[in-house]
Amino acid sequence: MKKMLSLCLILALFAGLVLPVNAENPVEIIFWHSMGGVNGEAIVKMVDDFNKANEGKIKVNVEYQGTYDDAINKVKAAGMSAMPADVMQIYDIGSRFMIDSGWALPVQEMIDAENYDISQIEPNIAAYYTIDNKLYSMPFNSSTPLLYYNKTAFAEAGLDPDTPPTNFDEIIEMAEKLTIKDADGKITRWGYGMGNYGWFFEQWMGKMGLHYVNNDNGRSEEPATKVVFDENGGAAEVFKVWKKLFDEGIITYLGRGNTDAKAAFISGDIVITLESTAALKSLLTNVGDDFEIGTGFFPNIHPDDKGGVSIGGGSLWMLQTGDDARQKAAWEFIKYMISPDVQAFWNAQTGYFPITVATHELDAFKENLEKYPQFGTAIRQLHSTAPEYAGSLLSVFPEARSLVETYTERLINGEVTVDEAVEKLAAEVNSAIEIYNLTN
Amino acid sequence: MQKQVSTASKSVPHTSPGGRLYDKLEPYLFLLPAFSVFSVFLFYPFLRTIYLSFFLTDKFGNAKVFWGVRNYTDLFASSSFWASISVTFQFVLIVAFGSLIVGMITSLLTAREYPGSTIISASYAMPVAIASAAASMAFRMVFHPTNGLLNIIFGTQINWLGSPEWALFSVSVVTIWLQSGINFIFISAGLRGVPDELYESASIDGAGYFKKLFSITIPSISPTLFFQVIINIINAFQSFSQIRLLTQGGPGDATNVIVYAIYRDAFFNFRFGTAAARSIILFLIIFIITLIQFRFEKRSVHY
Repeated sequence: MKKMLSLCLILALFAGLVLPVNAENPVEIIFWHSMGGVNGEAIVKMVDDFNKANEGKIKVNVEYQGTYDDAINKVKAAGMSAMPADVMQIYDIGSRFMIDSGWALPVQEMIDAENYDISQIEPNIAAYYTIDNKLYSMPFNSSTPLLYYNKTAFAEAGLDPDTPPTNFDEIIEMAEKLTIKDADGKITRWGYGMGNYGWFFEQWMGKMGLHYVNNDNGRSEEPATKVVFDENGGAAEVFKVWKKLFDEGIITYLGRGNTDAKAAFISGDIVITLESTAALKSLLTNVGDDFEIGTGFFPNIHPDDKGGVSIGGGSLWMLQTGDDARQKAAWEFIKYMISPDVQAFWNAQTGYFPITVATHELDAFKENLEKYPQFGTAIRQLHSTAPEYAGSLLSVFPEARSLVETYTERLINGEVTVDEAVEKLAAEVNSAIEIYNLTN
Repeated sequence: MQKQVSTASKSVPHTSPGGRLYDKLEPYLFLLPAFSVFSVFLFYPFLRTIYLSFFLTDKFGNAKVFWGVRNYTDLFASSSFWASISVTFQFVLIVAFGSLIVGMITSLLTAREYPGSTIISASYAMPVAIASAAASMAFRMVFHPTNGLLNIIFGTQINWLGSPEWALFSVSVVTIWLQSGINFIFISAGLRGVPDELYESASIDGAGYFKKLFSITIPSISPTLFFQVIINIINAFQSFSQIRLLTQGGPGDATNVIVYAIYRDAFFNFRFGTAAARSIILFLIIFIITLIQFRFEKRSVHY
């Protein structure tokens, strides 16, 4: 017996020498992401759990690559030689670039290969990443813009704290009641304030049910060749709102992006603001007990707008590494990242949507929703939109978005009129699209 | 070049004519290491930039479509380019002389020793040790339109970064502060080198503080001041992170200095051709400024 045992041990040792792959060397893959702060810590925790559960089989090396812009620029720089990662988080507006680049392995191929059931994925989220009935990347951290307001200030001003404004007529009306001036006539609290964020412009196009670019909003096989927000009048409508808010002294300029607007809302200097759902957790934490936060749907430009919001945020892209074992491992990892339990954890830590419907049934998710009922608004808003408002795809989106922000500034500073702003903005974005299509 | 050298030394044995050839080549061989480093990191990128400025590039930055001088003519035709040039010059002037003046005043204040002067000196020199990105994040809170420190202290409601009248000024103030430290250190060192006898004899002649300042101190440290102005101008042209973090070139084009515009074109819009054309123009500007500076130096700097 003893002999047998030692013989077995020796054989096992030999086996270990001959077949080291399974015993010692797990398949290593690299995951690039762009989540800083609390969100980044959550990512690391999720990856650690995955590595523990798959010990000896798959090992995911998680690498933070800076902002979305930084990360996509790094892959562009590296893309000429070899793919630097197996799985990569890319922002919504990088989608068209990734499709055109040919570096991406559409997740649809993995889905088809094993008949993976994707009916679990929120249809309004999957729609964004579906082109030609093909899911290119796996939705992961999805958000929509929301309206946030200070309920305590609403009650003080005699407004109903449970009725947030739904369009800009109401916002202006309420903001006038919420604004506080001191003895010298200086405004000490603004009723309304928002960052100059090009994302909102895109959302309002969707809310009005209008397209941003031609060729089925950039979603047909042929990529977009020009913008249509000038012809369909959408841009002018959005710019008119900005102009009106400034001309009537309703708001003060809070910079590009959302950082300053967020800080102003937290300190109570503005009562109503617009922010991503992903900011919910950090707003709640930062505001604490200072006042009560309410949430409402992203406001319409006109009271009778019939469109819906589209999602923003990021998705997980598989890159063409050409290594079958690594691609399989990457797919396993992606499936784990969107599994209901993981998504419930992710949702609770950040405020991003759980992208799988099954998450809604989990106790962890229900508890979180009970604790932060504000998040329910985001879910209702997501379910009230429709796949046809999935938003546009455009190769030069980062540039277009920043041009929108520049022209918004020129408009409110009186350098251009609404019509000039629309005309020049369209001309600049069109020329960027033209050059891109000419060279790529 | 390298190939020629090796074939020459291989084919010709060490007879006297070959030896003479080697003597001729020897100095170039010593230059070769430095030259190859410069070639890789300076000459090649420079020539490549000139080359790219005549092309449209694809998303990887490869030259794709020959575009002739259209990158240049398009720039010269765009109002935003001229706005960016004008902003750059305003910014450089404000920063170069602003930080020189701040450095001058702070070093004069600490020129004599008094209780606590070392601590004060240290705090004047401190901006040297602060990363511009970290300082910009701090100043972003100072400048915040609704709850920024500056508006609270002065009781104003100025949109420091958001209004076209103030944005360039605000970014310049941050840059002046960041550069004041290095100005302080160099000018302080310069002040120590001024001989005391000059001040003594001037005092005997009855010269007051400002007379001594303008007739002795400033001429005596003029090489330091000249050096510092050049450094300030170069640094001001290169300022980037404060603009990226505070205003992103906005509002409109109010703080869109040329270096930031190059970054936007190259790494955000992925149009390396236009970015290269802008770089060449920036190179020419700095080249001309340097020529002017050295012309000026001969006239008014006393060594």
